[in-house]
Amino acid sequence: MSLSKPVTGSLLSAPTVLYMAVFFIVPSLILFAYSFWSAASYQVVPDFVLKNYLGSLTSPLFWKVTFNAISIGLWTATITLILAIPVAYYLVYVARSQTILYLILLTWFSSYLVRIYAWRTLLGTNGVLNTVLLQLGIIDHPVGAFLFSSFAVTITLVHIYLPFCILLVVASLSEIKRDLIDAARDLGTSSIGAFCKVIAPNAANGLIGAFMLTFILVAGDYVTPQMLGGSSGQTTGLLIADQFRKTGNWPLGAAQAFLMFLVSLAIYFALLTAGRMSGLVVHRPRKKKEA
Amino acid sequence: MLLRLVVWTILAFLVAPLIIIVLFSFHASASLSFPFTGFSLRWYQEIFGNTQLAGAVTKSLVIAFFTALVTLVLGASASLGWLRLDRVGRAVIEAMSVTPIALPGLFVGVSLLVLFAQAGIRLSTLTIVISHVVIALPILIVAMKARLALFDPSLEEAARDLGASQRQTFARVTLPLIAPTLISSAILAFAVSFDEFVVTSFVAGTETTLPMYIWSMMRRTVTPMVNAISTLVLLFSVAILLGAWLIGRLRRQSAISARAEP
Repeated sequence: MSLSKPVTGSLLSAPTVLYMAVFFIVPSLILFAYSFWSAASYQVVPDFVLKNYLGSLTSPLFWKVTFNAISIGLWTATITLILAIPVAYYLVYVARSQTILYLILLTWFSSYLVRIYAWRTLLGTNGVLNTVLLQLGIIDHPVGAFLFSSFAVTITLVHIYLPFCILLVVASLSEIKRDLIDAARDLGTSSIGAFCKVIAPNAANGLIGAFMLTFILVAGDYVTPQMLGGSSGQTTGLLIADQFRKTGNWPLGAAQAFLMFLVSLAIYFALLTAGRMSGLVVHRPRKKKEA
Repeated sequence: MLLRLVVWTILAFLVAPLIIIVLFSFHASASLSFPFTGFSLRWYQEIFGNTQLAGAVTKSLVIAFFTALVTLVLGASASLGWLRLDRVGRAVIEAMSVTPIALPGLFVGVSLLVLFAQAGIRLSTLTIVISHVVIALPILIVAMKARLALFDPSLEEAARDLGASQRQTFARVTLPLIAPTLISSAILAFAVSFDEFVVTSFVAGTETTLPMYIWSMMRRTVTPMVNAISTLVLLFSVAILLGAWLIGRLRRQSAISARAEP
């Protein structure tokens, strides 16, 4: 006797679905419940209070660090996407060898902490950037402001998330046929014009997706700002992480995590609406693949 | 040609910091700036005498191994299930596997910490492995999905029609077709676990993994010893990537030649 296909399929997928339910969905729900609980003398008490949310929303510090996280996120995601597009374009339509792809994969898989450390040593007062600029005579004394600034944080985050963003953009460009671009070029459009008129509208959803994913990951990254941002490195992520480590108000941290999540969602929808209104994003019905 | 120049400049930006890290790991003096005062292996010698570091490396290797193993078993099973599911079932797996990738590690780490605290599970190597699987499994499923889109279920049906048992069909048809991707994805799971820092920092308790050791060193000082460790970690990632790529290639070739046999 053999089982029907969907039943076997469900049985085979069940362990994974169960695993993700127990260790991803349940924890997220508990965290959500926590955000309404209260903390008293290092004890978390089940409760239903809104003070974690209201307290955060009325705290100037929370808004300051959230604004900081969003601005770091938007700057980094913008620069990352601008850099990712030419590389992805080159990979999809021009490159014949795989060398570039392997270089990108290599940087993507090189350690996260190592890359933060690399920029820290590059940008320090005795770092490579300062010594090179001094020797070239461009500056006469070491610039201390390279490190512990938004500049340091942004350049490092771009370095960390660029490979990932390139791969996302490659995935969205791969769906556009070369013929479309050739046709546009044949009709006399410049290569930049072909990009704006043919590729961008067709890949818009994928590009916005890549931008948003980069934004969310960057805005939630608190290690880089902590290591390289100095006093400007306070972000919501660090605030949340500290709630779960130092001061220990877990419910407050949980509420702030969900507020951060809501802010990201709001930005996503704002971006999508802006895209639709400007006509860049066209809502197209999905092609049915079912035979 | 302008495009080419732009692309290579961006690649230089990606690769140069890593090269500089490697370069200064061989620096004879403790300074991390030019002018370069000569080559030496002293920082590597210091590493090999460090027992704390050796302990952290062993811990990370053990965690990465078990993460890859659990991810491989769960992921392989889910991929086989995926082939047999209808659209709704596939959507469920997709939603569960894609969402964690789109969330910052902070969110995953904090929610797992809350779960372990609420369930009264003591933080240990086990909780680290559990958490790493949550991150690695989605990556494996996304990689498998791209590969399985090319998989033709009629091959399995054909084998069954020709009289192969369910087990034979699995061993001779299904497994050879999905094995290369499965194994290379499991190796990637190993790499992800070996490098994971943010989630680990929440669920590690008193355990120290290699990234956590590097972090504590980075915070204390800037010494070429961190460069030497970083260089070895980089070499290890290159080796892992190369391994994943080679296995993917070899197995694919053997799968193709097995199919070509009469």
